[in-house]
This record gives sequence, C-alpha cells and structure tokens, in this order.
Amino acid sequence: MEGAHHEVPTLLRPETDFKSHFAWLVLGHLVMAFFFTLLCARFVPAGGARAGATLGILVGLVYAGPHLISFAVQPLTLKILYGWIAGAVIQFAIAGAIVGAIYRPVAEQIMYVKERSR
Amino acid sequence: MKRFILAFIAAYIFLFVWGWLINGVLLKDIYAQTPNLWRTQTEMLSFFHWILIGQALIVFAFVMLYVAGFADGGVAAGIRLGILLEIAAIGMRMGVYAVQPFPGKLLIYASIGGLIEMIITGAIVGGIYKPAASGKAVS
Repeated sequence: MEGAHHEVPTLLRPETDFKSHFAWLVLGHLVMAFFFTLLCARFVPAGGARAGATLGILVGLVYAGPHLISFAVQPLTLKILYGWIAGAVIQFAIAGAIVGAIYRPVAEQIMYVKERSR
Repeated sequence: MKRFILAFIAAYIFLFVWGWLINGVLLKDIYAQTPNLWRTQTEMLSFFHWILIGQALIVFAFVMLYVAGFADGGVAAGIRLGILLEIAAIGMRMGVYAVQPFPGKLLIYASIGGLIEMIITGAIVGGIYKPAASGKAVS
C-alpha cells in the first residue's frame, strides 16, 4: 500500500512527524489486539480457529464501514479504499484464527452467553 | 428474520442521526481546522452514498455478530458487544492518528462519540432482536 499512500501525500504526516507519533500506532494496535482477544473469548468461548476466523471476518466488516465513510469525506483513491477494506477483513480473519487456535479455556470455565446472563 | 430486519433498521436510523449530530454539528469546527484533509462540501455530497453504504455495513455486521454470538444475552450483551467493538476501534483510530495530521482533540471527541454510539447501538439491537425459542449456544 506504500505506493498508493504516496498518491495522497497531503493526507499523511511527513516522515519525521510520523516517527514522532509512532508510539500511537503501537499503542493503538495493542488496544485493538487486547479487545479483539476479549471479544474472541466471549464470542467463541470454546475456541477453535474456524470460529475465530468467522468472528474476525465479521469484525473486519464492521471496521470496513468506517473506511467507506472515510472515502466519502477524505480525498482518498479507490485503490486505497479497496486495499484498506481487504486489509481489515484479512487482518482480523487471520488474527481471529490465531486467537481461536491458541485460546483454550479449561472445560469447566466455558460459559455461554445465555448462562452468563442468568 | 423479521426481528433481524427491525433491529437493523432501528440501529441504522440511530447511527445515521448520531453520525450527523457528532460529525456534522458538534465536531464541525474541529474538522474545519484541517480543511486540507477533507473533501469540499459539494464533493462530499456527491460521495454521500458511500456514507450510507458504510453505515449500513457497520450495522449489518454488528447485528450479524450479535445474532451469531450474543443474542441470548439481551440488552446487556448488546451493550457489551458495542463496548468491546468500539474500544478496539479506538485502537484503530489511534493508528490513524499516527499517520494522519488531524488534531488530537478530534481523536478524543470522536472516540467518546463512538463509544456512546456503539453502546446505544448495542442496546437497540439487544432490545429488539430476540432469538428463536431454543437458546442458541455459541461455538
């Protein structure tokens, strides 16, 4: 996407400015990863890569919506829009599969939404 | 299916009105501080259908998520889903802030607005959508 981003230089911070804001990028990804994992634990309490990937695709679609809105209000190119949407869906699908494959709660701790709400 | 469509329509109407209130009215002056980042008013109007499609996608995916994994929890589960999704979205917004030169206060206000938006969206969806008689367990 680097080449596509160079088509809209006025929308992006200059290199030095970006470097001084790099901590925001790292922190943002940490927040995203932590709460996405929490969501996985609630959505697919029994774990599993396939269920995690399904959740990831749905979450990716939720976040694709704001990209469409950004395209309407910012002078982005269609190439960037499609790249961001595909990136979001693929990123969360893979992240969901990874979390689903790794996260395995002990059997007696598995509790479904219906049970939790009692 | 009827409840799904009702939940979708109600949440979509809310999201549209809230989006206009937050971005079109309350944060208007902050957006005006960085005109080089945004399309002109007339250009935005010609791209308006992308906003409608984007909001529809957000609501559709939200309701699908709720139906697939949270539907037995009612309003509380809808709110929980909204909070989890929005806090992760705040993380995404922080990433965008790192690469785009918009004011820091826009990040804060948009995140507060987004959190309220997703809590209410979750409550609407959880209040309207009711699963079929047999409780559906997620797997």
